[in-house]
Amino acid sequence: MILIPCPHCGERNVSEFQYVGEALTRPNPDGVDPEQWRSYLYLRSNPAGPTVESWFHRAGCRRYLKVERDTVTNEVTSVTLPGRGGPQP
Amino acid sequence: MAEPAVIARSPITPAEPPSVVDGWEVSGRRSGAGLTLVDCMPLAKILVRAAPDGAVGRWLGTPFGRAGTNPDGVLVTGSGPDEWTLFGPHGSGRALVGAVEDLSGERELVSALDVTHGRTLMRLTGAAARPLLSKLCAVDLGNAVSPNSAVFRSSVAKVITDVVRDDRSGVPSYLVHCERSYGSYLFGALLDAGAEFGIEVDGYTSTEMRGV
Repeated sequence: MILIPCPHCGERNVSEFQYVGEALTRPNPDGVDPEQWRSYLYLRSNPAGPTVESWFHRAGCRRYLKVERDTVTNEVTSVTLPGRGGPQP
Repeated sequence: MAEPAVIARSPITPAEPPSVVDGWEVSGRRSGAGLTLVDCMPLAKILVRAAPDGAVGRWLGTPFGRAGTNPDGVLVTGSGPDEWTLFGPHGSGRALVGAVEDLSGERELVSALDVTHGRTLMRLTGAAARPLLSKLCAVDLGNAVSPNSAVFRSSVAKVITDVVRDDRSGVPSYLVHCERSYGSYLFGALLDAGAEFGIEVDGYTSTEMRGV
Protein backbone atom coordinates (compact mmCIF):
# COMPACT_ATOMS: atom_id res chain seq x y z
CA MET A 1 0.00 0.00 0.00
CA ILE A 2 1.32 3.43 -0.93
CA LEU A 3 0.72 6.26 1.51
CA ILE A 4 0.98 9.83 0.25
CA PRO A 5 1.45 12.54 2.91
CA CYS A 6 -0.85 15.29 1.67
CA PRO A 7 0.27 18.73 2.92
CA HIS A 8 -3.37 19.57 3.72
CA CYS A 9 -4.90 16.31 4.90
CA GLY A 10 -2.01 14.27 6.28
CA GLU A 11 -1.03 10.75 5.32
CA ARG A 12 -3.68 9.13 3.11
CA ASN A 13 -4.06 5.94 1.12
CA VAL A 14 -3.07 6.25 -2.53
CA SER A 15 -6.61 5.20 -3.54
CA GLU A 16 -7.76 8.70 -2.55
CA PHE A 17 -5.52 10.22 -5.20
CA GLN A 18 -5.59 10.35 -8.95
CA TYR A 19 -2.34 10.08 -10.86
CA VAL A 20 -2.11 12.97 -13.31
CA GLY A 21 1.27 12.41 -14.89
CA GLU A 22 4.85 13.51 -15.03
CA ALA A 23 5.19 17.11 -13.86
CA LEU A 24 6.41 19.14 -16.82
CA THR A 25 7.11 22.80 -17.34
CA ARG A 26 4.67 24.16 -19.90
CA PRO A 27 6.52 25.94 -22.70
CA ASN A 28 5.43 29.43 -23.67
CA PRO A 29 3.00 28.91 -26.57
CA ASP A 30 4.14 32.16 -28.18
CA GLY A 31 7.73 31.10 -28.66
CA VAL A 32 7.56 27.33 -28.98
CA ASP A 33 8.14 25.38 -32.21
CA PRO A 34 5.84 22.45 -33.14
CA GLU A 35 8.44 19.87 -32.19
CA GLN A 36 8.76 21.23 -28.64
CA TRP A 37 4.98 21.50 -28.29
CA ARG A 38 4.51 17.92 -29.47
CA SER A 39 7.16 16.79 -27.00
CA TYR A 40 5.39 18.61 -24.17
CA LEU A 41 2.03 17.12 -25.09
CA TYR A 42 2.93 13.52 -25.89
CA LEU A 43 6.43 12.47 -24.85
CA ARG A 44 7.28 11.28 -21.35
CA SER A 45 10.63 10.18 -19.96
CA ASN A 46 9.15 7.32 -17.88
CA PRO A 47 12.25 6.78 -15.74
CA ALA A 48 12.96 3.73 -13.59
CA GLY A 49 13.83 5.64 -10.44
CA PRO A 50 13.13 9.02 -8.88
CA THR A 51 10.67 11.22 -10.75
CA VAL A 52 8.47 14.23 -10.10
CA GLU A 53 4.76 13.70 -10.74
CA SER A 54 1.46 15.48 -10.37
CA TRP A 55 -1.26 13.84 -8.31
CA PHE A 56 -4.77 15.07 -7.58
CA HIS A 57 -6.25 14.51 -4.12
CA ARG A 58 -9.76 13.84 -5.34
CA ALA A 59 -11.10 12.33 -2.10
CA GLY A 60 -9.52 14.93 0.15
CA CYS A 61 -8.56 18.56 -0.28
CA ARG A 62 -9.12 18.50 -4.06
CA ARG A 63 -5.72 20.03 -4.71
CA TYR A 64 -3.04 19.14 -7.23
CA LEU A 65 0.18 18.06 -5.56
CA LYS A 66 3.77 17.73 -6.69
CA VAL A 67 4.97 14.30 -5.61
CA GLU A 68 8.54 13.04 -5.78
CA ARG A 69 8.38 9.28 -6.06
CA ASP A 70 10.73 6.45 -6.89
CA THR A 71 9.00 4.40 -9.58
CA VAL A 72 11.02 1.30 -8.66
CA THR A 73 10.45 1.23 -4.89
CA ASN A 74 7.31 3.42 -4.78
CA GLU A 75 8.95 5.39 -1.99
CA VAL A 76 7.47 8.90 -1.76
CA THR A 77 10.23 11.30 -0.75
CA SER A 78 8.44 14.65 -0.97
CA VAL A 79 4.96 16.08 -1.46
CA THR A 80 4.52 19.80 -1.97
CA LEU A 81 2.03 22.22 -3.41
CA PRO A 82 3.04 23.25 -6.92
CA GLY A 83 4.49 26.73 -6.87
CA ARG A 84 5.11 29.36 -9.46
CA GLY A 85 7.97 28.76 -11.86
CA GLY A 86 8.25 25.02 -11.28
CA PRO A 87 6.56 22.12 -13.01
CA GLN A 88 2.81 22.64 -13.09
CA PRO A 89 0.14 19.96 -13.07
CA MET B 1 -57.74 18.34 7.49
CA ALA B 2 -55.74 17.72 4.31
CA GLU B 3 -52.40 15.95 4.59
CA PRO B 4 -49.37 18.21 4.14
CA ALA B 5 -48.10 18.21 0.59
CA VAL B 6 -44.77 16.59 -0.22
CA ILE B 7 -42.63 18.93 -2.25
CA ALA B 8 -39.23 17.27 -1.86
CA ARG B 9 -37.83 13.81 -1.29
CA SER B 10 -34.52 12.40 -0.17
CA PRO B 11 -32.77 9.75 -2.29
CA ILE B 12 -33.05 7.55 0.81
CA THR B 13 -36.38 5.76 1.07
CA PRO B 14 -37.84 6.79 4.44
CA ALA B 15 -38.31 4.03 7.01
CA GLU B 16 -41.88 3.27 7.99
CA PRO B 17 -43.97 5.14 9.00
CA PRO B 18 -43.50 7.96 6.48
CA SER B 19 -44.11 11.51 7.59
CA VAL B 20 -43.93 15.02 6.15
CA VAL B 21 -41.80 17.71 7.83
CA ASP B 22 -41.44 21.14 6.27
CA GLY B 23 -42.60 19.73 2.92
CA TRP B 24 -40.05 16.91 2.94
CA GLU B 25 -41.04 13.29 2.99
CA VAL B 26 -39.12 11.80 5.94
CA SER B 27 -39.33 8.87 8.29
CA GLY B 28 -41.57 9.34 11.31
CA ARG B 29 -39.89 6.53 13.22
CA ARG B 30 -38.71 7.23 16.76
CA SER B 31 -35.92 4.99 17.98
CA GLY B 32 -34.48 4.66 21.46
CA ALA B 33 -31.50 2.61 20.33
CA GLY B 34 -28.00 3.46 21.47
CA LEU B 35 -26.79 3.89 17.91
CA THR B 36 -28.98 5.67 15.40
CA LEU B 37 -28.78 6.88 11.82
CA VAL B 38 -30.94 9.83 10.73
CA ASP B 39 -31.48 11.07 7.19
CA CYS B 40 -31.06 14.85 7.59
CA MET B 41 -31.58 15.69 3.94
CA PRO B 42 -34.01 18.63 4.58
CA LEU B 43 -31.36 20.77 6.30
CA ALA B 44 -29.95 23.60 4.18
CA LYS B 45 -26.47 22.96 2.78
CA ILE B 46 -24.45 25.77 1.27
CA LEU B 47 -21.10 25.34 -0.44
CA VAL B 48 -18.87 28.41 -0.19
CA ARG B 49 -15.59 28.98 -2.02
CA ALA B 50 -13.59 32.05 -1.01
CA ALA B 51 -10.11 33.17 -0.02
CA PRO B 52 -9.45 32.27 3.64
CA ASP B 53 -8.08 35.76 4.34
CA GLY B 54 -10.90 37.60 2.57
CA ALA B 55 -13.98 39.22 4.09
CA VAL B 56 -16.10 36.09 3.69
CA GLY B 57 -13.36 33.81 5.06
CA ARG B 58 -12.94 36.01 8.12
CA TRP B 59 -16.71 36.19 8.64
CA LEU B 60 -17.04 32.43 8.47
CA GLY B 61 -14.19 32.22 10.96
CA THR B 62 -13.67 28.48 10.81
CA PRO B 63 -10.35 27.09 9.55
CA PHE B 64 -9.96 24.12 7.25
CA GLY B 65 -10.53 20.91 9.17
CA ARG B 66 -12.67 22.40 11.92
CA ALA B 67 -16.36 23.17 12.51
CA GLY B 68 -18.11 25.76 14.61
CA THR B 69 -21.59 27.11 15.17
CA ASN B 70 -22.08 30.79 14.45
CA PRO B 71 -24.41 33.07 16.47
CA ASP B 72 -27.25 32.40 13.99
CA GLY B 73 -27.12 28.68 14.74
CA VAL B 74 -25.50 27.76 11.42
CA LEU B 75 -22.88 25.02 11.51
CA VAL B 76 -19.86 26.26 9.54
CA THR B 77 -17.47 23.52 8.49
CA GLY B 78 -14.07 24.11 6.91
CA SER B 79 -14.26 21.36 4.32
CA GLY B 80 -11.32 22.46 2.16
CA PRO B 81 -8.38 24.89 2.15
CA ASP B 82 -10.63 27.61 0.67
CA GLU B 83 -13.95 25.84 0.93
CA TRP B 84 -16.69 25.78 3.54
CA THR B 85 -19.94 23.90 3.87
CA LEU B 86 -22.68 25.59 5.89
CA PHE B 87 -25.52 23.62 7.46
CA GLY B 88 -28.57 25.58 8.46
CA PRO B 89 -32.20 24.97 9.40
CA HIS B 90 -34.59 23.91 6.68
CA GLY B 91 -35.41 26.75 4.32
CA SER B 92 -32.48 28.95 5.32
CA GLY B 93 -30.50 28.27 2.14
CA ARG B 94 -31.49 31.36 0.20
CA ALA B 95 -30.81 33.68 3.14
CA LEU B 96 -27.38 32.12 3.71
CA VAL B 97 -26.40 32.48 0.06
CA GLY B 98 -27.59 36.10 0.17
CA ALA B 99 -25.58 36.81 3.32
CA VAL B 100 -22.38 35.48 1.75
CA GLU B 101 -22.95 37.38 -1.49
CA ASP B 102 -23.68 40.61 0.34
CA LEU B 103 -20.49 40.28 2.33
CA SER B 104 -18.30 39.49 -0.66
CA GLY B 105 -19.08 42.79 -2.38
CA GLU B 106 -17.71 43.35 -5.85
CA ARG B 107 -13.99 43.00 -5.27
CA GLU B 108 -13.79 39.51 -3.81
CA LEU B 109 -14.21 36.41 -5.92
CA VAL B 110 -16.63 34.24 -3.98
CA SER B 111 -19.09 31.52 -4.87
CA ALA B 112 -21.99 30.41 -2.70
CA LEU B 113 -24.09 27.55 -3.95
CA ASP B 114 -27.18 26.02 -2.37
CA VAL B 115 -26.62 22.27 -2.64
CA THR B 116 -29.46 21.26 -0.33
CA HIS B 117 -31.01 18.99 -2.95
CA GLY B 118 -27.69 17.96 -4.47
CA ARG B 119 -26.04 16.38 -1.47
CA THR B 120 -27.19 13.80 1.04
CA LEU B 121 -26.70 14.45 4.74
CA MET B 122 -27.07 11.91 7.51
CA ARG B 123 -26.27 11.87 11.20
CA LEU B 124 -24.75 8.90 12.97
CA THR B 125 -25.04 9.11 16.75
CA GLY B 126 -24.09 6.75 19.53
CA ALA B 127 -21.23 5.40 21.59
CA ALA B 128 -20.45 2.90 18.82
CA ALA B 129 -20.43 5.52 16.06
CA ARG B 130 -16.65 5.64 15.99
CA PRO B 131 -16.02 1.87 15.70
CA LEU B 132 -18.72 1.70 13.05
CA LEU B 133 -17.17 4.46 10.97
CA SER B 134 -13.73 2.91 11.46
CA LYS B 135 -14.94 -0.16 9.56
CA LEU B 136 -15.57 1.96 6.47
CA CYS B 137 -13.01 4.75 6.68
CA ALA B 138 -9.21 4.71 6.98
CA VAL B 139 -8.85 8.04 8.79
CA ASP B 140 -7.87 7.88 12.47
CA LEU B 141 -11.06 8.74 14.37
CA GLY B 142 -9.42 8.85 17.81
CA ASN B 143 -9.71 11.96 19.93
CA ALA B 144 -6.10 12.93 19.32
CA VAL B 145 -6.58 13.22 15.55
CA SER B 146 -10.34 13.69 15.16
CA PRO B 147 -11.70 15.44 18.27
CA ASN B 148 -15.15 16.98 18.50
CA SER B 149 -15.62 19.56 15.71
CA ALA B 150 -13.06 17.87 13.44
CA VAL B 151 -13.88 17.92 9.73
CA PHE B 152 -12.32 15.82 7.00
CA ARG B 153 -13.04 14.51 3.54
CA SER B 154 -12.07 10.95 2.78
CA SER B 155 -13.30 7.70 1.37
CA VAL B 156 -16.14 6.15 3.39
CA ALA B 157 -17.34 2.83 1.99
CA LYS B 158 -15.42 3.86 -1.16
CA VAL B 159 -17.54 7.00 -1.56
CA ILE B 160 -15.96 10.46 -1.36
CA THR B 161 -17.55 11.73 1.82
CA ASP B 162 -17.32 14.75 4.08
CA VAL B 163 -17.37 13.82 7.76
CA VAL B 164 -18.01 16.29 10.57
CA ARG B 165 -17.70 15.23 14.18
CA ASP B 166 -20.46 17.07 15.99
CA ASP B 167 -21.05 15.42 19.36
CA ARG B 168 -24.48 15.69 20.95
CA SER B 169 -24.42 16.19 24.74
CA GLY B 170 -21.16 14.30 25.03
CA VAL B 171 -22.33 11.41 22.85
CA PRO B 172 -20.18 10.86 19.74
CA SER B 173 -22.03 11.99 16.65
CA TYR B 174 -20.95 12.38 13.05
CA LEU B 175 -22.52 14.26 10.20
CA VAL B 176 -21.83 12.36 7.01
CA HIS B 177 -22.56 13.91 3.64
CA CYS B 178 -21.88 12.97 0.07
CA GLU B 179 -23.24 13.50 -3.41
CA ARG B 180 -26.98 12.86 -3.61
CA SER B 181 -26.62 9.97 -6.04
CA TYR B 182 -24.48 8.01 -3.56
CA GLY B 183 -26.73 8.78 -0.58
CA SER B 184 -28.89 5.70 -0.66
CA TYR B 185 -25.87 3.41 -1.05
CA LEU B 186 -23.95 5.09 1.77
CA PHE B 187 -26.98 4.99 4.08
CA GLY B 188 -27.29 1.26 3.41
CA ALA B 189 -23.55 0.70 3.89
CA LEU B 190 -23.66 2.42 7.29
CA LEU B 191 -26.66 0.30 8.33
CA ASP B 192 -24.90 -2.88 7.20
CA ALA B 193 -21.71 -1.98 9.05
CA GLY B 194 -23.70 -1.01 12.14
CA ALA B 195 -25.74 -4.21 12.37
CA GLU B 196 -23.29 -5.73 14.84
CA PHE B 197 -23.68 -2.63 17.06
CA GLY B 198 -27.49 -2.69 16.97
CA ILE B 199 -27.94 0.39 14.78
CA GLU B 200 -31.46 1.62 14.08
CA VAL B 201 -32.91 4.21 11.72
CA ASP B 202 -34.34 7.20 13.50
CA GLY B 203 -36.76 9.69 12.00
CA TYR B 204 -36.08 13.31 11.16
CA THR B 205 -37.76 16.16 13.00
CA SER B 206 -37.41 19.86 12.34
CA THR B 207 -35.60 20.16 15.68
CA GLU B 208 -33.33 17.23 14.92
CA MET B 209 -30.22 19.35 14.84
CA ARG B 210 -30.69 21.58 17.82
CA GLY B 211 -28.06 24.24 17.89
CA VAL B 212 -27.26 23.79 14.23
